Amino acid sequence: MSGGRSAGYYLRLVGGQLRMSVLAALQYRLGFWTEGILGILWSALGMAPLLIAVEHLDTVEGWSAWELVVLTGCFTLVSGLFGALIQPALNESMNHIRKGTLDYVLLRPADALVLCLVTAFAPWRLIEALGGVGLIVAGLVKLGRVPSGLDMLAALGMGFAGLLALYAVGVLILCASFRAVQLQNLTFLMEALLDFARWPAQVFRGFLRMVFTFVIPLAVMTTYPSEALLGRLAGGTVLSAITTSVALMVIARLLWTRSLRGYSSASS
Amino acid sequence: MVPSASPAVEVRGLCKQFRVARREAGLGAALRALVRREYTQVDAVKQLSFVLGAGERVGFLGPNGAGKTTTLKMLSGLLYPSSGELRVMGHVPAERRSEFLRTISLVMGQKRQLSWDLPAVDTFEFNRVVFDIDAGDYRRRLDELVSLLAVGEVMRRPVRQLSLGERMKCELVAALLHAPQILFLDEPTIGMDVAMQLSIREFVRRYNVEHGATVILTSHYMEDVAALCPRILVIDGGQLRFDGSIEALTRRIRPLRRTSVGADEYPPAEQLAELGHVVERGAGRLVLDVEPERVPAVVQVLLALPGARELVVQDAPLEEVMRELFRREAGAERGA
Repeated sequence: MSGGRSAGYYLRLVGGQLRMSVLAALQYRLGFWTEGILGILWSALGMAPLLIAVEHLDTVEGWSAWELVVLTGCFTLVSGLFGALIQPALNESMNHIRKGTLDYVLLRPADALVLCLVTAFAPWRLIEALGGVGLIVAGLVKLGRVPSGLDMLAALGMGFAGLLALYAVGVLILCASFRAVQLQNLTFLMEALLDFARWPAQVFRGFLRMVFTFVIPLAVMTTYPSEALLGRLAGGTVLSAITTSVALMVIARLLWTRSLRGYSSASS
Repeated sequence: MVPSASPAVEVRGLCKQFRVARREAGLGAALRALVRREYTQVDAVKQLSFVLGAGERVGFLGPNGAGKTTTLKMLSGLLYPSSGELRVMGHVPAERRSEFLRTISLVMGQKRQLSWDLPAVDTFEFNRVVFDIDAGDYRRRLDELVSLLAVGEVMRRPVRQLSLGERMKCELVAALLHAPQILFLDEPTIGMDVAMQLSIREFVRRYNVEHGATVILTSHYMEDVAALCPRILVIDGGQLRFDGSIEALTRRIRPLRRTSVGADEYPPAEQLAELGHVVERGAGRLVLDVEPERVPAVVQVLLALPGARELVVQDAPLEEVMRELFRREAGAERGA
C-alpha cells in the first residue's frame, strides 16, 4: 500500500481529522451542549455498579474497594477512548463502505487502514476518559500508593496493548463489513462486551477467562494495567499480553489487505 | 494543450469481473436467499486496451452499465483489476502509492468528499494536511481556484445549504488543491442547469490548458464531451468500440452533413429528394442530410432560394451518432 509517510505526517493527519470532528461538534449548538451533558452523565453512570459492589462486599476476588476504584478508573479510561476514537471511526468507515464513499478516503495519499481508523472522532467521549484518570488517581491516593517508574511503564505498556487489541478487533469487524455491509451493530456488541472489563479478570473462570485474556483481551485492557499500578503484575504477563495484542493486530492487518482487494465500491 | 510524447495512461487487456448476488422478487425469495444465495458473475470490463498522452482531454462515452465508471475507478486505484496491465503516470494504481495518489484526482458528480455539515473551506484546510501541501502553495492555489470558480462567499456556508452547482464547484476546488496531473471526472455536471454546465466545462478546459493536466471525462451530456474532448473512447458492454475524434466517429457512423436553411419558399418534395435526405421541412426551416461531396452544390441551390437565410452545415449531433452506433452494435450482436 502507500508507504513512505513519516510519523509526523500521520500525527498531523490525526490532528486534522480531530479538528474536523471538533468543528462538526461545534457546528450545532443544541447538539454541542447535549453531547457534553451526555458525556458527563455517561461517566457518572459508569460508576454505579462499583458503588453497589463496594456497599455490599468487602472484597471482590481479592480486590479491596479502593483497588476496585483504580480498576474502574482503568475501565472508564479505556471505555472513553473506545467511544471517542475507535467506535466513531469504525461506524463511519462502515457507512463509507456501504454507501461507496470510501472511494474518497482511499484516494488520500496515506495508509488506507490508518485513514479509516481516523475518519471520525467523538471528542465529547474524552470527558469519560478524563473521568477515568481522575478515578485512578483518587483510588491510588486513598490506598496511599505511589507507583514506581517501572509500575507506571508496565501500566502504560498494558494500556497500549489493550488499545491495540481493541483496534485489532475493530479492524476485524471492518474487514467483515466489506462482505456483509450492515454490521454497525457489531460495534455496539463490542461496547457491551467491553463492559465485562469493569470487573477483575479473576472473576471469570476457565473458558471465559481464556477468551477474555487471549481472544478478546479484556483483561489486558483494564485488570493488568490496574495490577501494574498496584505493583503486583509479573513481568512475564506484560510480555505475553503485548505479544497477544501485536499478534492480533498482525492478523487484522493481513486480513485488511486482503479485504481491500475485494472492495467493489458502489454504483455511481 | 498539445499532448506530450510520454503516455499518461497505458491500459492493456484490462478486465474486471464482479460477483453479484441475485434473487427473484418477493418475501419467499428473500427468505430463501437467507439460507442459500445465488451469485452471478458480471464482466464489467472486458479486454480493454488504450493509451492516453499527457495533457490530453479524453471523453469516455457509453450507455449505462457500459463499464466507464469501473474503468475510471481502476485507473484511480480504487478497484483491483481482475486481469490485465494498467499504468498511470508510470504507477500501478492498485498499489495506491502515495506518490501516485498525489498526482491524480477523481471527482464524482453523484458522491461528495466535502463534509456535509461544515463549510467547504474546512474540508479544503483538511485536504491541505492530507496532501501535505506547502502553506504558500495552498494559499496561492486556493486563491486561484476560488477566483476562477467564483466561490469566495459560497465556500464559507455549510455544504448542506449549497445548491448542486455550488457544491460541485467546491468539490472541484477540493479535488484540485494538490495540483493533480490527471483529473478523472465522472459525470461532473449531472443534474445541473445549462449555465452551470457551461461554467464547469469552461473551467475544466482552462485547467487543462493552463496546467497541462490530462483530463478523462465521463458524461451523459454529449455537449460536455463534444465541447471538451478532442478524443473519445466509446465503451459498450465493457469493450472498446471506438477510439478517435468525434469527427472521425461521425464520418464513420453518420457521414451525411446536416445542412439547414431558412427561406420564404421551398422547392417541391421531388426536387428536394435529389439534393439529399429530408429531415425536416416547415416552420420556416429546411433540414437535409447531404452527401459530403455534394455539399458545395447543394449549398448553392439552397442559397438561391427566395429569402434564403441562416444557412448552416454541420455534422450530425453526437447523440444521434451514438444512438446509431449502439443500434448497429446491438444489431450485430443479435445477428452473431
